[in-house]
Amino acid sequence: MTNDEHTDATGTMSPSRLTQFEAEVGKLKVTGGGANPERLGSWWGIGLTILGFVVAIISFWNALDSGANNTDTELRSQIFAVIGVGIAIVGIAIWVRNSLTRYLRYWIVRLVYEQREQTEQLIQALRDGK
Amino acid sequence: MTSVQTGPAPTGALAGVPVLQLAAVRAGYGRIDVLHGIDLELHQGEVFALLGPNGAGKSTTLAVASGQITPSSGGLLLCGRDVTGVAADALARAGVCLIPEGRGIFPNLTVAENLRMATYTGHSYHDVLDLAFAQFPRLGERRKQTAGTMSGGEQQMLSMARALATEPAVLLIDELSMGLAPIIVEELYEHVRRIAASGLSILIVEQFAHEILGLADRAGIMLHGRLLHTGPPASIAGELSDAYLGADHGAPGATSSPT
Repeated sequence: MTNDEHTDATGTMSPSRLTQFEAEVGKLKVTGGGANPERLGSWWGIGLTILGFVVAIISFWNALDSGANNTDTELRSQIFAVIGVGIAIVGIAIWVRNSLTRYLRYWIVRLVYEQREQTEQLIQALRDGK
Repeated sequence: MTSVQTGPAPTGALAGVPVLQLAAVRAGYGRIDVLHGIDLELHQGEVFALLGPNGAGKSTTLAVASGQITPSSGGLLLCGRDVTGVAADALARAGVCLIPEGRGIFPNLTVAENLRMATYTGHSYHDVLDLAFAQFPRLGERRKQTAGTMSGGEQQMLSMARALATEPAVLLIDELSMGLAPIIVEELYEHVRRIAASGLSILIVEQFAHEILGLADRAGIMLHGRLLHTGPPASIAGELSDAYLGADHGAPGATSSPT
């Protein structure tokens, strides 16, 4: 697409741009509008971690209660404990991923603002020095 | 109310459907709600001026319209389609372009490098430069100059040029006049007038009304996160002093007038 297809020499927008806009809007993936997805992701991560540890602890107590000779129950408890630990690891990974995204977003915004501020100070200093 | 539209008549399926619509939008920052149920419609080729004192929620409204803030309730609609929650970059690629308060240029890049940023929509670098320099010849003379060393008015021109080079369908402008001398503001609004005549739909936020009421088709007054009045600029002008001087429009129970 070039500018010439949708604008004339004076920059006047043609109806085809509107049609194109409508088509572009139609193609947008609507995610459902959850505000602050990273925060939601962090909460999911924390929730899964807690759930995983709870499952693991319950399995551990279940194995202890089953007695020394009940190998079937012990095996089942071990499997559930491993699943619990797995859920907890997934939860921690989700939490770390979302927390890092939030942190890095704030970090880059701060960096941009600081650089902008420094450049403006430098320009001001150069102007004052003239 | 019938709005006067300066651009080409809406075509096809778009006829009568707002290009951009905020429906009962509540939004804010973290737990603090700034907008308390905003209803706003922007039609094809229309210039809508959003006025109000500092802290009224005007910039937050633009942030919602550009997808930077997701409403906690209510919806953002483009051409009648609910796009609430769509990422800001996806909306920008589709054709919703924001010129932010404070210009939003990269001060340590040159004019040409700043314009290169507008190639994200798929336009070639040369097309972007041609369009920008055709509309703002002064930028062409300064293409190799570091943007931060230009005057405030020229920086605002660069910001506008970069936005227009993406060939937007909806233009959102935040406080064009901020920090600029009146004569420069007048010149910039002359550019906006030209852009509006081309049929672009423009939602423009201003704290100072005089510059903008002359070119808007409709205007609205915001106060305390509510859109208090909408209508033709002539009818809004009379309400402005009340809004700015603290008449109690923002009290609980105050309602938005229909758009």
